[in-house]
Amino acid sequence: MAALPRRIIKETQRLMQEPVPGISAVPDDTNARYFHVIVTGPEDSPFEGGLFKLELFLPEDYPMSAPKVRFITKIYHPNIDRLGRICLDILKDKWSPALQIRTVLLSIQALLSAPNPDDPLANDVAELWKVNESEAIRNAKEWTRRYAMDN
Amino acid sequence: MSEAVIDERVTDEIAALKAILLDDELNIKENDRGEPECIETVLFPSTGEDSQSQYVCVTLIVQLPVGYPDISPTISLRNPRGLDENTVRLMQSDAEAKCKDFIGQPVMFELIEILCYSVILFAIIKVILLQQLIREHLTRSNLPTDQCAICLYGFREGDEFTKTECYHYFHSHCLAAHIAAAERYYREEQEKLPQWQQDATNKFQAICPVCRESINCDVESLWSAPPPIDVEAAIDFSVTTELRELQKQMAALFLRQQQRGGIIDLEAEGVKTLVRTEDEPGATTDGPNPPGTSLNAYSNQNMQPVNHMQMPQSKQSSQTQNHAHYQSRQLHHNYHGHNNHGHRNRGRGRAHYRRQFDRVRQTESTPR
Repeated sequence: MAALPRRIIKETQRLMQEPVPGISAVPDDTNARYFHVIVTGPEDSPFEGGLFKLELFLPEDYPMSAPKVRFITKIYHPNIDRLGRICLDILKDKWSPALQIRTVLLSIQALLSAPNPDDPLANDVAELWKVNESEAIRNAKEWTRRYAMDN
Repeated sequence: MSEAVIDERVTDEIAALKAILLDDELNIKENDRGEPECIETVLFPSTGEDSQSQYVCVTLIVQLPVGYPDISPTISLRNPRGLDENTVRLMQSDAEAKCKDFIGQPVMFELIEILCYSVILFAIIKVILLQQLIREHLTRSNLPTDQCAICLYGFREGDEFTKTECYHYFHSHCLAAHIAAAERYYREEQEKLPQWQQDATNKFQAICPVCRESINCDVESLWSAPPPIDVEAAIDFSVTTELRELQKQMAALFLRQQQRGGIIDLEAEGVKTLVRTEDEPGATTDGPNPPGTSLNAYSNQNMQPVNHMQMPQSKQSSQTQNHAHYQSRQLHHNYHGHNNHGHRNRGRGRAHYRRQFDRVRQTESTPR
């Protein structure tokens, strides 16, 4: 394996030793820059009870540039599109090298608790979220139950 | 004892504090009755007048309960800079013990009864003593005990580090790398904008990675610093059995979700949502894209996942249906697939996608 920046090694070790509740991130066997991630749906959100799988990739110049993150499990959310791409400022222009894998994933989990239909990535979802929130939430719960529950 | 007496003692104490401390070092908050209820002071180590060598600081917050100074105040320490959690905890417990010492002394109550005036002095001394105590701590640990937020390693004797105006600490080497990368990003983003939207000054402003305050550093001299000592000495990482177990669980969950149709199918989604252009016949007939390569699309500076989606990659598409190979293939792509994408579709369709994605980008970059 090509030389891995010490910071990535340190983050990985800490993720293993002090895991964040509700979040697990495991590096892949063959590429230590690629992480398999599971984020649990936050309590009191329509995603509660769901186990959402994401993929996270640390680019060559990480931590100087943001990790690339994408949902793999289907999710009904105004800021996450059909391809699982996430609309989150810290993954773009608000990235800072003081952020880490764990803080990024916590922010994504927080985004599940606080959908923002005024800044949409999935237009149809955002639209419904604005005009008929209860139906949108019902959809989100249904998708969570159908795709993300593990029972 | 009447309310007025307490008031007076407190007012006197605050007057004394105001006399001793500079305006920007002291912040007194009052309740709606105009009574002071909280005293905030930013404390630095005692390095004399040499503020350049003050590498750590902390805000001391003294909550004044009703009945203060007869009742012990609540102490908290906020915004520690250059101090790790353990040091802050130690300082906190020391300060609390000191407060209890004062309260527990029976002499003190006598003093309150008999020598009202001394109490005022005492009260003044008390806050000052607290400040002094914490200052002592700060002076002792005037090498940042915290870690560098950029490389996540500590500061050792011999490390060159930089204190920002906002009292955050970074290895000079790490900070240089951050500023250089941020400036590069800024220039790239500027170039993407139409001229009328570009920042007229075209001047890049570095910000602190931790608090986003504007910072001013001489990047040239920062670059001359050697890499941090701890980073160089850190041990290598190897995959543990525990890790393998977690990997297995993840893979199992993926399969279970896939069986119930819960996994985003990039091929299907690509055809349905992204490759929906009238002006590009044949787009939908291009080879599908294996799952997992999507992150490469992000890596592409111009953010053109659409182009990426359409790449006919015979080798990959032949494997696409073979989901058992999902993991290994996926990684392979993230590693090597990087530069193979985005060279086709330079025709009309591209502008169309660009428009679409510029829209997406705009919404994405809107700060929350």
